[in-house]
Amino acid sequence: MNTLIKSAFAAALLLGASSAALAVERGGTMTYGRYADSLFLDPVLNDANVDIWILSNLYDTLILPSDDGKGLVPGLATEWKVADDGMAVDLTLRDGIMFSDGSPITQDDVIWSLKRAANPDNGIWNFLLVAVDDVVANGDKGITIKLKHPDPAILAALTVFNAAIMPKKQFEASEGATDADKAKAFAEHPVGSGPFVLKSWERGSTMELVKNEHYWAKGEDGQPLPYLDGITFELLPDDATRILKLQSGEIDGAELIPYARVDELKNASGINMEMFPSTRIADVIMNVRPQIEGKDNPLSNEKVRQAMNYAANKEAIIQIVTHGVGTPMSSYMSSATPLHTGEGAVFPYDLDKAKQLMKEAGFENGFSTSILVLAGSQDEIGTATALQQMWAQIGIKLELQQVDNATRTQKYRDGVFDMRAGAWTDDIADPNEITSYYVYSKNIQAVHSGWKSDRADELFEASQKETDPKTRADQYAEIQKIYNATGPIIPLYETPYPVALNEKVHGFLQIPLGNNVFRAAWMDK
Amino acid sequence: MAFLSFIFRRLLQLIPTLAFILVVIFVLVRMLPGDPASAILGDRARDADVTRINAELGLDQPIPVQFGIFLKNIATGDLGNSIHLKVSVASLIADRLPVTLMLTAMAALIALVLAVPLAFVAATRQGRVADNSIRGAFQVGLSMPVFYVGLILLTVFGAQLRWFPVGGFGSSFVDHLYHLFLPALTLALSLAAILMRNLRAAIIGVVDAEYVDFARAKGLRSRLIMTRHVLRNALISTVTLFGLQVGTLLGGAVITETVFAIPGAGRLMIDSIYGRDYPVVQGLALALAVIVSLTFLLTDIVQAWLDPRVAR
Repeated sequence: MNTLIKSAFAAALLLGASSAALAVERGGTMTYGRYADSLFLDPVLNDANVDIWILSNLYDTLILPSDDGKGLVPGLATEWKVADDGMAVDLTLRDGIMFSDGSPITQDDVIWSLKRAANPDNGIWNFLLVAVDDVVANGDKGITIKLKHPDPAILAALTVFNAAIMPKKQFEASEGATDADKAKAFAEHPVGSGPFVLKSWERGSTMELVKNEHYWAKGEDGQPLPYLDGITFELLPDDATRILKLQSGEIDGAELIPYARVDELKNASGINMEMFPSTRIADVIMNVRPQIEGKDNPLSNEKVRQAMNYAANKEAIIQIVTHGVGTPMSSYMSSATPLHTGEGAVFPYDLDKAKQLMKEAGFENGFSTSILVLAGSQDEIGTATALQQMWAQIGIKLELQQVDNATRTQKYRDGVFDMRAGAWTDDIADPNEITSYYVYSKNIQAVHSGWKSDRADELFEASQKETDPKTRADQYAEIQKIYNATGPIIPLYETPYPVALNEKVHGFLQIPLGNNVFRAAWMDK
Repeated sequence: MAFLSFIFRRLLQLIPTLAFILVVIFVLVRMLPGDPASAILGDRARDADVTRINAELGLDQPIPVQFGIFLKNIATGDLGNSIHLKVSVASLIADRLPVTLMLTAMAALIALVLAVPLAFVAATRQGRVADNSIRGAFQVGLSMPVFYVGLILLTVFGAQLRWFPVGGFGSSFVDHLYHLFLPALTLALSLAAILMRNLRAAIIGVVDAEYVDFARAKGLRSRLIMTRHVLRNALISTVTLFGLQVGTLLGGAVITETVFAIPGAGRLMIDSIYGRDYPVVQGLALALAVIVSLTFLLTDIVQAWLDPRVAR
């Protein structure tokens, strides 16, 4: 656990993925088409991917996630070390770091930012910093994070958006009585620590970011990053329009290309169709409680769940829904998540085995059940329709219930559903986030499925304090074995992030955790 | 005088209508399953977070209490803050509603410019080639879904011919008009078809009326007969229809705004309903209700002007 990473090594890593063969060109504004607008750009109080995935451009963290999303590289801190007993983390702040208004980033700012992020009254991400007991200054440029108990994921947690460093003085000078009110006022004219600064935001239309002139990191040419003068986000919710805009050259990049259009854009001239590795998974989540609204629930039978898994032809679903873009899941967590184990599909397609299991479970003649899918979601409706036909072969009659997201959330929170389509993307380079939601029964009852394994709970609790990497990996291997064999889900597929870029764009990156990283992006003149 | 008191009476009638709409929207939006916290948090919604956030928003209060607070705030002109966007509903409406109004006004104008002359041509050449081709073309316009028409226009006139931008709203007033032309045309096509058919039928009906024969017998010039007698009378039912269609036009704006990436109120409304952003839904519904009601009022006034018997 004694991690000491030299900054030179890490800087090499950081720049490794950008197009080193080409000489970078500076300047220009990159226009990027987004499917949905941001809501609230406060690192601590936000709650949606539309905010999370661009926040890293506005605010830096002490440690940054590496390009593959799994490792750590220096950010506002150059060095860090976890104490031998695992009860503290010592970090060294980088020399000469400044906020976008030119004021220095001080130990005070760091202490205040981390304490605000760890405060259980603030937002929904504080659980990532639940081990934090206190944050104190240490010498001129040292920071010590004191922990309540050892936390093997504490360094990864320091790379997450909510642990971003904000200016204490400027924030507290903002109008408003409470932290939430001040955050609203501050977010209108934020002062940041990231490579870009918010210049203007017309909600529902465009957001303009400009270069932070005081950013610390250096580019390949030895000059400060970022290379771009700015980024303009254009809100283009319609997939076809977003692609048309890219094809006509009005925008330089477009996110979330529908799978059906990926092949076409791969062959289009002047466009690079990028498939960035991701931690995104898609699955079906079952309600496994013995009874649902007073009626016996066949899905509570482990054999029935296994039969449904064997009868679900994931390869076929990958072809139908993702047009071959996806890959089968080999565990409940994505293969890009640290400590993932498993190879090949969790339950390879086997209809005979499925029929046999249904017979053993006493459901030879099948039963009727239902699935909640998001109205208008082609992916979910396509998946459910395919499953409807596949499961008909083992006598299961599946009814599709199309609802909006709020209705669906309410239904599964209340436990009044049979199945639902689900999806997940990690926010932290550690398996603990998805496991706390999917497996651990004491958080949200294993994604509201009602599934519970005392052994898995016990292993998870132990793993949260386990500082020996080998032991922790074993714990996760066992959790995955238990859950994958008996769990409440039908693992379907993993998909990359499909982003289409004009060929003049270089160095843009979307890391597996979803962050859109523009700091090393540049464009041909 | 009768005319003024007619307008005054109609304005008074607006008050109970708007009050009714307010109550219905307030209650309906809260009867939808889900709440703002779980709508936005989804899987990540933990009970403690949902309870805390809903309490912060005052959503743990009984609905009558919430309604009382809402009414009190409205009386002081405060529509509250958006739950998800954290900005005032009034400023959101001020940003987004004019965009939608501009779009629908432009669409209405294009529809009129297309429908009135063509209806005239079709009616006066009833059953001939001109009539049949005009009616045929509009039939096609009427039967195609709005988003499809929009995409075709975008592809052909935006991406391929480059005559118009591929969506967006632009930055100056003239730029706005330029950006809004294709979406307005998209919206206008089906409305123009409906208006054209109605007006054509009305003109044919009026042309055969006895007072028109009488006017002809008096030796009035045919242009005068057409404008003063035929068109004025034929327009009465079309004006009513037009007024009623404004509501539909605002509804169609939702789809058009999405396809053409226009930051209007339609899309804001849909996003807010999905996100259970109650204050925004309430504020927008109120604003839209006022606009639709005022349009109906305007329709009545025009009708009363065309046919003074209406005001009595």
